[in-house]
Formats: sequence, structure tokens, C-alpha cells
Amino acid sequence: MSGRTCSSGHVVQAQKLVDQLRVEAGMERIKISLTAADLVRFCQDHRRSDPLLTGISASSNPFKDKKTCRLL
Amino acid sequence: MAAEKAEMDALKKECDGLRAQIEAARKAVNDSSMSGAAGGVASVGRVQLKLRKTLKGHLAKIYAMHWSADSRQMVSASQDGKLLIWDTFTGNKLVAVPLKSAWVMSVAFAPSGNLVASGGLDNMCTVYNIKAASPKTLRELDAHTGYLSCCRFLSDSEILTASGDTTCCLWDLETGKQKIIFTNHIGDCMSLALSGDMNTFISGACDSLAKLWDLREGTCKQTFSGHTSDINAISFFPSGNAVITGSDDCSCKMYDLRSDQEVIGYQDTSLNAGVTSLALSNSGRLIFAGYDDFNCHIWDSLKGEKVGVLSGHDNRVSCTGVPEDGMGVCTGSWDSFLKLWN
Repeated sequence: MSGRTCSSGHVVQAQKLVDQLRVEAGMERIKISLTAADLVRFCQDHRRSDPLLTGISASSNPFKDKKTCRLL
Repeated sequence: MAAEKAEMDALKKECDGLRAQIEAARKAVNDSSMSGAAGGVASVGRVQLKLRKTLKGHLAKIYAMHWSADSRQMVSASQDGKLLIWDTFTGNKLVAVPLKSAWVMSVAFAPSGNLVASGGLDNMCTVYNIKAASPKTLRELDAHTGYLSCCRFLSDSEILTASGDTTCCLWDLETGKQKIIFTNHIGDCMSLALSGDMNTFISGACDSLAKLWDLREGTCKQTFSGHTSDINAISFFPSGNAVITGSDDCSCKMYDLRSDQEVIGYQDTSLNAGVTSLALSNSGRLIFAGYDDFNCHIWDSLKGEKVGVLSGHDNRVSCTGVPEDGMGVCTGSWDSFLKLWN
């Protein structure tokens, strides 16, 4: 394997890195004031359908061990 | 040789220029913070979940768990060499799948409920049909040159894997062959998560980076930095517009995809343990993060405050999951038990 083959391997790798950075640099970014507000809005809009926030009644709790009812 | 060096120098200069461009673009949209946006939001108060069930059956450390789409069945994987499929409503074990290799690191339930997949130090992802009379090996996906750290089904015919060989891979289950290989990480891939629309996925790796990928094009779209150690856990925020990561650097972070940067971090000076796993409640407001300190700590995703803790395991919490209906949290541990909380 010649020295040249080794170096052009490095060049290929460096070119790939540049190509990837070009892709990432090209995106349009939106202001955090807007995107963060959007995330907050999502949480607020969905809080009533989040059982771990609202709580779960004993009768509708699928994981709660049901106590058996014994007729005496 | 001189020509090569000149080319390398030019490429390095272009690289530095592009990195500076990206940083400048990020800075330009950094006009606020999550604390600013969440200022007017009411606190969630103290979140106190109760332990509802402890699932006993594994004989060694549990490394992974995954909920079925029905929010009732769940599969767990242990280095005792077994996958167990549980009915979490009754606590009963429904199916036991013996593994060829006990060194399992990941497990997944197909959305249909027909298949489960697992893999680990055998470098393979094995797919099982659990609806057969006894669990039948459907496919052995064998091409990764490093351990299998994570796997997720898109459907009964496609699965995504993440590997210690630094790549992620999309497989065709009809042929058992690789469809697309995702290369860009420079460290072991540790975790992945699929977007709700299945057009993209995110990966976290030992290079401390999180990456967003286009599933069909096979390209890396965005790279998120900030962590100072391995990212072990990653999840989409339920709206699909943000990503939460958990790392060996003892912190979690939320990155907004549209602003292309971190918007809030979750760390506490008293927490000196690495994050192993994480899951979000249905509204995205609560983050359940499993740590090496044997606990699962609960974070308010908007205010960045610790709001609760799930304590009870006697060893590292290795996996955490919230079912689709959001009715509870499951934690799995090296203590060999799974616990259900709500």
C-alpha cells in the first residue's frame, strides 16, 4: 500500500466531513422564543390527557391490585 | 504529497468555516430560553407515584424492557438468558423466550404485538414470532461488527438497530438483509428512537452526540452536542419537535429540532450518577430518568426542576418505559426486578 493511498483515504474522510457540515449548515433555524413557546403550549394542551399528571382513580387503575370482595 | 497536504489544509479550512457558520446561525436564533417561555406555567408540585407491582421472575440483571402498543403487555430482557413477556395488569408471565446468547442489551416489541426482537454482545438482532405455539426464531440479523445496543420495529417487516460498531441500520425482515446503513457517529451508538411519523429517527452515542436521521434517504440531518460523555438514552418529545437525551455526564438535555440547539438542561449537583434510560409522560411535561444511583428521578421538562423520585430498586435502574396510554411507568433494574408505578 503506497503512502499516496493512505493520504487520499484521509482526504476522502475529510471531504465526507465537509459534505456533512454543508448539509447541517444549510438548515433554516427558528428562534427559540417561538419553538420553546410551542413546546410549552403542547404540554399545556395535553396535560388533561396525561394520567401521570392528572392522577388515576383506584377503580380505573390497571396496575393497582384489586382487593377481592368476599361475601360472608 | 504536497498536493495531498494542500487539499487537506483546504478541507480543514472549509470545515472550520462551516462549523463557525453553524454556531453563528444557532446563536442568531438564541433569543430566549425555556425558562423564559415557561415562566408563566404553573408548577407541577411534588409528583408522588406509588409502587403498584413488582414483577419477579428474572434471575439476573435486567438490561432492557419495552412496552407493547396495547399498553398492557411488556417484554423484558435479562442476562439470565431470557426474554419474558408480561401481562402487567395481572403480573403474570405470558411467554418465556430462551436466548441463544445470554448477553442481551436490548429488546423491542413490534407494534403488531406478533414479534419481539433482542440482541447484545452477539452483535446480532434476533427476531422471534411469539404468537406461535412456542416462540420461534424468525430471523437472525447478522451484519453489525459490534454489539447491538438498541432495536426498534417500524412494522413486522422493518426494524432499526443501533450498534457498538458506530452505525445504525434499517433491515428488511422479509429478506433478512440490510436496507440502509447510517454512518456518521464516531463512537458506539447506544440508543435510538423513532419519530411518530416514522420518517426520521434519532440516535445517541459514545461520541457524546445526538443525531437526527432521514430514514428513507439514509442521511444525517442534524447533530446536537453539549454532553460531555456517552449518551445512553434518547427519546422524542411527544410533539416530535424536540429530543431528550440522558448521559453518563449525569445530566439530561432537551434539544429543539427547529432551533437546532439545547433549550434546557436537567442536572443537580447532588446527582452524581450517570443516566441509563429515560421516558416521557404523554404530555411531555414529566421526564422519568433512570440513574446508576438505583433511582428513577422525575424532572419537570419545562422548568428543569426535579419533582419526584421512584425509589425501591436495590441496584442500577437500567431501563425505563411509559406505555402509549401513559397510564404508568415501568422501571427495570440490575436487581432483577421490574416495577410498575403510577
